Amino acid sequence: MKSPKLSPYVLGAVLALAAPVALRAAGELNLFGWSEYVPQTVIDGFTKQTGIKVNFETYSSNEEMISKLVAGGGRYDLVQPSDYAAEAMIRQKLLAPLDTAKLTHLKNLMPEFVRRPHDPEGRFTVPYMSGTVGIVVNTEKVKTPVKGYRDVFQPRFKDRIVVLNDSREIVTWALYSLGLPINAIDAGSLANARPLVASWVKLVKVFDSDSPKTPLLNGDVDLGIVWSGEAAILWNQNKKFQYVIPAEGAHQYIDVLAIPAGAKNKAEAHQFINFILRPEVSKLVSAAFPYTNPNAAARKLLTAAELANPASYPAGGKLETFRDIGKVAADIDRLVTDLKSAQ
Amino acid sequence: MTAGKEAGPPVTDRRTAGWRAWALLAPMLAWLMLFIVVPTAVLLVYSFCERDELGRVVYTFTWDNYQRAFDPIYVRIFGRSIGYATLTAAICIVAGFPVACYIGRAREELRDRLLLLVMVPFWTSFLIRTYAWITILKQEGLLNAVLRSLPFGAGPLDLLYTPVAVMIGLVYAYLPFMILPIYGSVEKLDGALIEAAHDLGAGPLRVFSSVIIPLTLPGIAAGTLLVFVPSIAMFAITDLMGGARVPLIGNVIQNQFTQARDWPFGAALGVVFMALFAVTYWILLRFREREEAAG
Repeated sequence: MKSPKLSPYVLGAVLALAAPVALRAAGELNLFGWSEYVPQTVIDGFTKQTGIKVNFETYSSNEEMISKLVAGGGRYDLVQPSDYAAEAMIRQKLLAPLDTAKLTHLKNLMPEFVRRPHDPEGRFTVPYMSGTVGIVVNTEKVKTPVKGYRDVFQPRFKDRIVVLNDSREIVTWALYSLGLPINAIDAGSLANARPLVASWVKLVKVFDSDSPKTPLLNGDVDLGIVWSGEAAILWNQNKKFQYVIPAEGAHQYIDVLAIPAGAKNKAEAHQFINFILRPEVSKLVSAAFPYTNPNAAARKLLTAAELANPASYPAGGKLETFRDIGKVAADIDRLVTDLKSAQ
Repeated sequence: MTAGKEAGPPVTDRRTAGWRAWALLAPMLAWLMLFIVVPTAVLLVYSFCERDELGRVVYTFTWDNYQRAFDPIYVRIFGRSIGYATLTAAICIVAGFPVACYIGRAREELRDRLLLLVMVPFWTSFLIRTYAWITILKQEGLLNAVLRSLPFGAGPLDLLYTPVAVMIGLVYAYLPFMILPIYGSVEKLDGALIEAAHDLGAGPLRVFSSVIIPLTLPGIAAGTLLVFVPSIAMFAITDLMGGARVPLIGNVIQNQFTQARDWPFGAALGVVFMALFAVTYWILLRFREREEAAG
């Protein structure tokens, strides 16, 4: 490897590569996105097309992203919050309005994913991918039909259940089962939900938000309530894992792209958003992470098998996004911590 | 420096020595300052603050976080965490003491090899080793496959995501921290004392309880501290191997800084936690002083 003959060529190659990069020093984008959500091929493709260098950092929760954004000033040019987090960020003036004239592919988006309550005028956010929280059932082990939350939390499934380790999700399922609103939470509705949540947490074997598919694949549990993307991967591995949108209603999340108010490279950020909106790019995201693609033009490019995945593209059901609930979140967290530790 | 050497050892200028000592200490003091004193101060300040909607710390004074920290919910979780850590330390003593004794009394070359074996697990990341335990304990895992292949056909054990799995994980992770300090004490143990005890008519049990245990007590104490302190705050093992079913105090604190967006409350729990350790340590110290004074 250390052959001296090669070095002039190597040096020449390095110079050839470095020169154009140096010339385009202005083109840079600091992307701050979810882990396991933006394929590296898409980022490389963007750099190849535009010459813009992408610095990619990841986070694993909206809360983590917001605290780093607030602490880091203008370090990030593009972030990827979920709907309710974007709503709070808009209210706190943390996001910059978008220049929609630059987003020529905006028309590719399906109308049901834009101008949702978190950004009613669509001025700050562009949908990236969407998903739901639903029931996944190993039909080889569970023979009876499972349609809603109450079918999952039955005493006969004790220690056979995995659920997300997320206090608000768990309380939301209880609120749905009781027919209560999921976004207007107060002390009264929490008191109503408490006995139900108490009986449920006793039945759960695993609480896991990062990879709830693992205990299902390992055979340690037979059913669960998980992110639809996880369920879609399970379905791809084995058709015995069926995805069900709970009859009582389900949480839908729309993860968006948005530009922080303090961003330094806003033009590049717009370019990246427009790049993601291109059908052939959006298709690559779907292939790597089988969530629900909000891009109508991209959906036309998906394979029949991808579109037939019931977790990625569920057939209807009552879906609602989360709204920012502010400080009640602390009461929810306390309730679930209390009930878990009371076991 | 060369000039100092020529001056020779007998003349010791006190002021220069002091200055040199400080210079030598400076890196450690800076390290302590930067990574212990400052973060602790930040934690203390945060614990008296409020938070806004986005979870940002707002600098208005409040006692609320401490009031909440002593809510029965969290007191119970504190209690349970202490229970888990105590049990871990106890199992580590029982399992680690014979091992440490054996290594300490072994021939030198064998001893070095055995010590290496104790330390080999540290060459692999802690998380990877925890995932390895998941592979062993899961229902269709290694352990159950071995059990199934036995002639008596023991049924599959449901171990993963239970408190037993958490205990296995904790004892596995911290056993070396018990073995090494005890080994240090055992190695220094004077064989002549044990022989003398035998000569004076003490049976093996008496030798163990009256000679070996008291002489290795410093090692046991150090090991207990090294096991107890980290295992009480552990959150990764309870999440990964316990299925996050029963929260320990480490999980609660971690959750405040991530999902719950309540840094001030997390900070308050952290401060209470530290105070608990400080008080325990102080009581132990007083206890020992009194014992020394009495004996």
